[in-house]
Amino acid sequence: MMLRNFAREIRFLSKDRGALFWLALSFILSVIAVSFGVTEVREQRETIANLIEEDAADRANALEGQEDWGSAAYYAFHFTYAPPSDFAFAAMGQRDSTPWKHRVRMLALEAQIHEADTRNADFGLVGRFDFAFLAASVVPLLLILLLYDLRASERSASRHDFLVATAGSSLSLWFPRALVRVAGLALLLLVPLWVASLIAGASGMVTLQATGIVVGALAVWWLIVELVSRIKASPSVLLTSLIGLWLALAIVVPALSKAVIETNNPIPDGGEILLLQRETVNDAWDLPKEATMKPFIETHPEWREYAEIEEGFEWKWYYAFQQVGDQKAAPLVEQYREARLRRDRQAGIAALLSPTSFVERAFEKLAGTDAVSMIAYEDEVRDFHAELRAFHYPLMFPEKDYDSGLLAELPLYKPES
Amino acid sequence: MTSPLEARSLSLVREGNTVLDDVSFTVAQGEIFALLGGNGAGKSSTLLTFLGFLEPSGGDILVNGTSVGSDVALARSAIAYLPEAAALYGHMTAYENLDYFLDLADKLASQAEIDAALERVALLVEARSRRLQSYSKGMRQKTAIALALLRETPILLLDEPTSGLDPIAIDEFHDLVKALAEGGQTILMVTHDVYGACQVADRVGLLRRGKLVGSFAAENNKRINTEAVHAAFAEREAV
Repeated sequence: MMLRNFAREIRFLSKDRGALFWLALSFILSVIAVSFGVTEVREQRETIANLIEEDAADRANALEGQEDWGSAAYYAFHFTYAPPSDFAFAAMGQRDSTPWKHRVRMLALEAQIHEADTRNADFGLVGRFDFAFLAASVVPLLLILLLYDLRASERSASRHDFLVATAGSSLSLWFPRALVRVAGLALLLLVPLWVASLIAGASGMVTLQATGIVVGALAVWWLIVELVSRIKASPSVLLTSLIGLWLALAIVVPALSKAVIETNNPIPDGGEILLLQRETVNDAWDLPKEATMKPFIETHPEWREYAEIEEGFEWKWYYAFQQVGDQKAAPLVEQYREARLRRDRQAGIAALLSPTSFVERAFEKLAGTDAVSMIAYEDEVRDFHAELRAFHYPLMFPEKDYDSGLLAELPLYKPES
Repeated sequence: MTSPLEARSLSLVREGNTVLDDVSFTVAQGEIFALLGGNGAGKSSTLLTFLGFLEPSGGDILVNGTSVGSDVALARSAIAYLPEAAALYGHMTAYENLDYFLDLADKLASQAEIDAALERVALLVEARSRRLQSYSKGMRQKTAIALALLRETPILLLDEPTSGLDPIAIDEFHDLVKALAEGGQTILMVTHDVYGACQVADRVGLLRRGKLVGSFAAENNKRINTEAVHAAFAEREAV
């Protein structure tokens, strides 16, 4: 019986040009969104692959002819990166506003990380049209356009009572009629996502979870439309009310939440970190060497016996004040890191009030493009930089003879994910 | 014997206004009962209570002896309802409309049966595959009647069925309604077409400001109805 109802409503839908237009548009938008994402991920991967090659060649070139450990460390750059996940095509998320690649060397690290707080600032204005944006913000509008006047249009055509009287019950009419539209919309959105997931090699579990998010979001918006459209009002009044609700849930609530969260969680500017560290490093040139070596030895007691600086310039002093620059900036860095994580946690709670934010965040999490993932990448860079220091200090501080052959053992950045 | 349709002291109050006030009548099987009244007399509201769209404030509504309130789906399954403007889908053909609405009513009909019904309502063959948006009101009404025929329900509710039809279409419609009643269908129609009602109905009830003020056998209509009906309609301005 239920299947027969659906078959009837599918036939009915096939004659509804308005609904078919919106469904076709959904499919086209989904194809465009995943195509943009797949292209962007491919380009980022190509960029990474090229930079890995160029970085190795450049480092080999820079190390050639060096005669001491300090110079070798100074001129050798190391490429670090956060590769896009296989599902990143669906949600570029924070990769658009947070750096996903850094080329670092043995100098003070934090300035290298915070050289630019924001990349692709243009995306901050327009946003990226990826699948997450489509599913979170555009799909609710398409669903509203498909469902808002199911009842109201029949009422205004004086057909409502006739239809319900013929059907016997509302359930056997409106439910299959709406479900066919919702299911059609879900399918037309998800098929391009599934195909792109296959092409990108995304895991079945992640794709399944993404499917669940889309279906869940559609169900929530369907419920909202259903509740509003029960009001006996004209189609235009219903549409205006639903668009108003969409504006409130998709724009106003997230904007207000963001404002409240940012006010309650002040965050130091990346530029402040950069400035503090650079000033520390620059000041060190004019300070007595003791002023650098003392705080350095406090954190690196293993090099105490080599802390005496005899000449005007020694590489170990130079790298010590780079390290001290990082140490000085560390509280601010930690404050910055914690505040970002705190804001992210609170944004997660606030997202419960906005289906749009919830979907966007859920997709970013699945794609590994959320704030937590980007902070994790920064931590990986710090770990790698610590490895570099751990490689160089035992050669530099005891002033071991330079042996270029040992440079083959230089740490290489390997992303964890 | 249980009457297919019965209003028992039916009252209806909507937004503080009394729409129906202690209305009682029965319609026997195979009978055509016409409710006459001016605008706002409560005619359409009476039909909507039989269909379960309006809940009585007092009294009861029974379809085949069962209170509509206790099983609205059962009541609706026994009734074919023809609203004033036969509101079928304009973007679909007569065949497509019938296919959709029959399916909606959980009724199967073969192509031959559909053609037979359309033949019976005299809808031209060449019109049947055209979209209804190109139909005249009479043609749309015929299609809706064909639907009612095909549903083969024991009860037919008609809301202003001849409104906007030309005289020939009205005659054809009346003939069809009489034929249905002769076939055993119980018909309740509401109309403000005094003479049409008296011509087709077995009995005529007069509704005035929600009250059933009279009920007359159609054979007496020539003399009695003229006076009573005019009295009923005279109130419409005050409603």
